[in-house]
Amino acid sequence: MDYDSFLRTDRLPTSWCAGCGNGTVLRAIIEAAHRLGWDASNTVAVSGIGCSGRTAGYFSFDSIHAVHGRAVPVAEGIKLHRPELNVILVSGDGDLCGIGGNHLLHAARRDTNLNVVLVDNEIYGMTGGQTAPTTPLGTKTITAPDGAWEKPFNVQGVIKAHGAFYARSTTWHVRHLAKCLDAAFRHPGFAFVDAKSQCTSNYGRRLGYRTAYDMLEHFKTAYRINDGAQTLADDEIGITA
Amino acid sequence: MAQKRLMQGNEAVAEGAIAAGMTFFAGYPITPASEVLQYLVRRPEVRAIQFEDEISSVCALVGASLAGAKAMTATSGPGFSLMQEGIGLGHMMETPFVIVDVQRVGPSTGMPTLPAQGDVMQAAYGSHGDYFPIVFYPNSVQELYEYTIHAFNAAEESQSPVILLSDGYLGHLYETIEMKRNARLRKRKRPPLGVGGRHFTGLTSVDNTPTPQNPEAHRRMIARLQAKQRKVGARYAHYEYISNRKADTLVVCFGSLSRAVMPLADRYAIFRPILLYPPIEEFSEIAKRYKKVVVVEMNAGQYVRVVQRLMRRTALSLPMIGGDLDVLRLEERLKWITTAS
Ligand SMILES: Cc1ncc(C[n+]2csc(CCOP(=O)(O)OP(=O)(O)O)c2C)c(N)n1
Ligand SMILES: [Mg+2]
Repeated sequence: MDYDSFLRTDRLPTSWCAGCGNGTVLRAIIEAAHRLGWDASNTVAVSGIGCSGRTAGYFSFDSIHAVHGRAVPVAEGIKLHRPELNVILVSGDGDLCGIGGNHLLHAARRDTNLNVVLVDNEIYGMTGGQTAPTTPLGTKTITAPDGAWEKPFNVQGVIKAHGAFYARSTTWHVRHLAKCLDAAFRHPGFAFVDAKSQCTSNYGRRLGYRTAYDMLEHFKTAYRINDGAQTLADDEIGITA
Repeated sequence: MAQKRLMQGNEAVAEGAIAAGMTFFAGYPITPASEVLQYLVRRPEVRAIQFEDEISSVCALVGASLAGAKAMTATSGPGFSLMQEGIGLGHMMETPFVIVDVQRVGPSTGMPTLPAQGDVMQAAYGSHGDYFPIVFYPNSVQELYEYTIHAFNAAEESQSPVILLSDGYLGHLYETIEMKRNARLRKRKRPPLGVGGRHFTGLTSVDNTPTPQNPEAHRRMIARLQAKQRKVGARYAHYEYISNRKADTLVVCFGSLSRAVMPLADRYAIFRPILLYPPIEEFSEIAKRYKKVVVVEMNAGQYVRVVQRLMRRTALSLPMIGGDLDVLRLEERLKWITTAS
């Protein structure tokens, strides 16, 4: 397939660090869009603010870089006015679950037909590695030097509580991630893919991972595929029923 | 052909928006602005959505507008404060839409049912950074209808969010108005989403590409936006001026409070800007004819600063806070301030 036709090649290389998972997610989305015949005439990309928030701007689709936390309502405005447009939303855990958490649950409740991809690196990457709502309990960050003391945000619970589509995958399991994206993009209502991703610069290296590959190896061993489950356990990935 | 109808101020805003071709409305209930949303959800020609808050409402307007809609929201002070970041985004992305602020007494929850003019400063400076909004403030139900249409047109011409100030008194006032058919409407300049290759961002950009560390590019962008806003604003430099050769004092007022000042035209000259921002330059010439200028407003003295900057001299500030629109008190205080100084 012709990747360049989906990319703003004039903007490459990206602003992302070597080894970042954002590129893997970008590529997986492009391939899924290609499989469905989505192109610039019928598709729009939206992001919030963060490293993952830069994703929208690398697509050759018309793209929107909203303010922090507000990608979801901007995307809803587009979809509600022009239901024929496919709306792909890519953003970070801080953006979607922290500052934008309220919009997320209401969009799931309204079942707006958005395709939301969360680049879940468990950290505020862009601002230097502060605790995110998804940072696991006890994990050290620059704002939690003794380890995060709050329970992480239950993204799956929030999305599924409102009957919306939820799938989880990782940047190691690229074939599985593709399957999740296909199912999400075909889903007629609110669809959410939680893509566990690696941030080495501002997270992994402080936790003892030497390279991006070390973090991917961790995904490989830590997660088990369980498609069709009602609810995924913390160590499972899959397309939920 | 014109149709006459008895109508509430908030309803006139809704009708004006429909006449202007609005197809998308997003809002969150708040006194004294809720009637706009309540009115519009019953109109089949409009997609009117009640969102979870004012932040999502204004952001939905950004999305809908980029997708091609003529879009509006209506709120009051607390909601207007929440919308400020989205308004800045609209200016950076050059996205046309209309925000109606039916002002009530603040700060904070204040006195929700009583009118005020405490957002006059926020309307122009509420978002961070340099931006140059077009702001209207009518003073009757008829004008609310007409200036809603103007606001939509000015938004399209400037490709920016335009603010229509109202207040709790005007919003709930009933008057008979003439609804003009076939108003002249401006069309969208930019093709809606679905073209490809365009990137809409709040980051300073050059040719569709963010340049977040380029001072020269930022200065050029701000200069261009400022010039554009001034140019479009100048087309709408509407005001009411009641001259008075016997008077040595010019009273500046706007919105509902100006209705209480008008009966005093035998004693004072009166200047009522309908366009608050960009400020009306002609005012400085008019002000030269009077020894004293008093700015009377339902806040502790906000627009007086704009007036002074225009005149390059001191004006008297007469705050009328509290939301009670007491005509006798206004008359007394005007007399007191013009004789005491
Ligand atoms: C209103 C507001 N608050 C704070 C910020 C600063 N900020 C920029 S990105 C970011 C965190 C992004 O984290 P996440 O969404 O997880 O994205 P990542 O960089 O990890 O991909 C923050 C707090 C901002 N831009 N706007
Ligand atoms: Mg993150």
